[in-house]
Amino acid sequence: MRTAFTLALLLLNILPAAAQAPTWLEDQLYGGGKLNAVIAVVSIILLGIGIWLWAQDRRLKRMEKAIEKKTM
Amino acid sequence: MKHWWWKLLAIALLLVASIAALRVPLSPSLVHVSPGRIAPGEVTIEVTGYNTRFAEGMGAFLENDGQFVCPVRVEVIDATHARITAVVPAGLRGSMTDLVVQGLKYPGAFFTEGLGDGIESGPCGPSPNKLDLSGLAFTFPNRSILYESIRNLHFHVPMWFTMIALMGISVWRSIQVLGNNSLDRDRQARSAVHVGLLFCALGLTTGAVWARATWGAFWTNDVKLNGAAVTALIYLAYLVLRGSIPDAHKRARLAAIYNIFAFVLLVMFLFVVPRLNAIDSLHPGNGGNSGFNDLDLDNRLRVIFYPAVAGWILLGIWLYELRHRSLRINEHLDR
Repeated sequence: MRTAFTLALLLLNILPAAAQAPTWLEDQLYGGGKLNAVIAVVSIILLGIGIWLWAQDRRLKRMEKAIEKKTM
Repeated sequence: MKHWWWKLLAIALLLVASIAALRVPLSPSLVHVSPGRIAPGEVTIEVTGYNTRFAEGMGAFLENDGQFVCPVRVEVIDATHARITAVVPAGLRGSMTDLVVQGLKYPGAFFTEGLGDGIESGPCGPSPNKLDLSGLAFTFPNRSILYESIRNLHFHVPMWFTMIALMGISVWRSIQVLGNNSLDRDRQARSAVHVGLLFCALGLTTGAVWARATWGAFWTNDVKLNGAAVTALIYLAYLVLRGSIPDAHKRARLAAIYNIFAFVLLVMFLFVVPRLNAIDSLHPGNGGNSGFNDLDLDNRLRVIFYPAVAGWILLGIWLYELRHRSLRINEHLDR
């Protein structure tokens, strides 16, 4: 599951190479002297780490449940 | 204070580096000059600057092979737009003419027609006595193609530094596993690869966005890109290999040996292959490109870049510790 998730993230990078990016996306990235490319990069990093923390949170929750079961 | 000071340091470094990376202005530069071709006779030149402060009475001239052509009229439209009228003499020596406005040079601005043996140079060249304050302001270099996206240096590149640091921790733990058969060291190696792959995925994704804005495509056949993708697959295979061996001690030893090969391949794909002179790479510092000298990584960038790298590596280690601790608790529960 985790491996599949990482693989999906990686494939996301490679697939758009074949497809031409829509012009609106190009306009967005080039906007503000290409400042929007920086905004996109920072957002991706925060989102990526957020998703990782979310997954870690779920792992901890599973363990908490297991502890509850053991102590009951 | 013993165990958590570095976590505070990570937050402080990331805070300072990120704010600076987003807020420091780009240095002023000329970004567009039209027309792109001049011939003898009167010519009107439209100049567009970025972060410039064009003002009435500013100096402007054309420079051709060390000889200067003075403008007839300089009209300032606003801080970033100006219209310059000049009479181009016949007989300029160089085929390319530069434009200089307010001390900012736009090299190779014009293809030049009507070449000859040179002209009588005008009196309007760069004044050596003028106090140049532009070097004192703290700004990022303003380079064509990159422009504002030069700030990504402080976000995209530290992802890779962090990944390499985590894979380094992992291979060190793996070597220890081979020495003492410790399952805890094995867990650490696995956790470091896991978090390292997160940073690898972030590096690839952010790199794709930056490439689209500068090189024109999300994915190019650049050696470093393909090397990074192969490295990611090698480490994914590490996780797959672990999943396929049920016996814990056997798994620890086999995975450790594989990990050492994986790290050697990482060094090959990210550092050695892209630097072979036979291969061209778009990345600075690779192939025929110069890099990590004052041309490509300016000192003004380094001041922000190194704290950013340190902050991200510490954050990566923090995530790795969280992952390792939760794995350890999980295995205690399963027992």
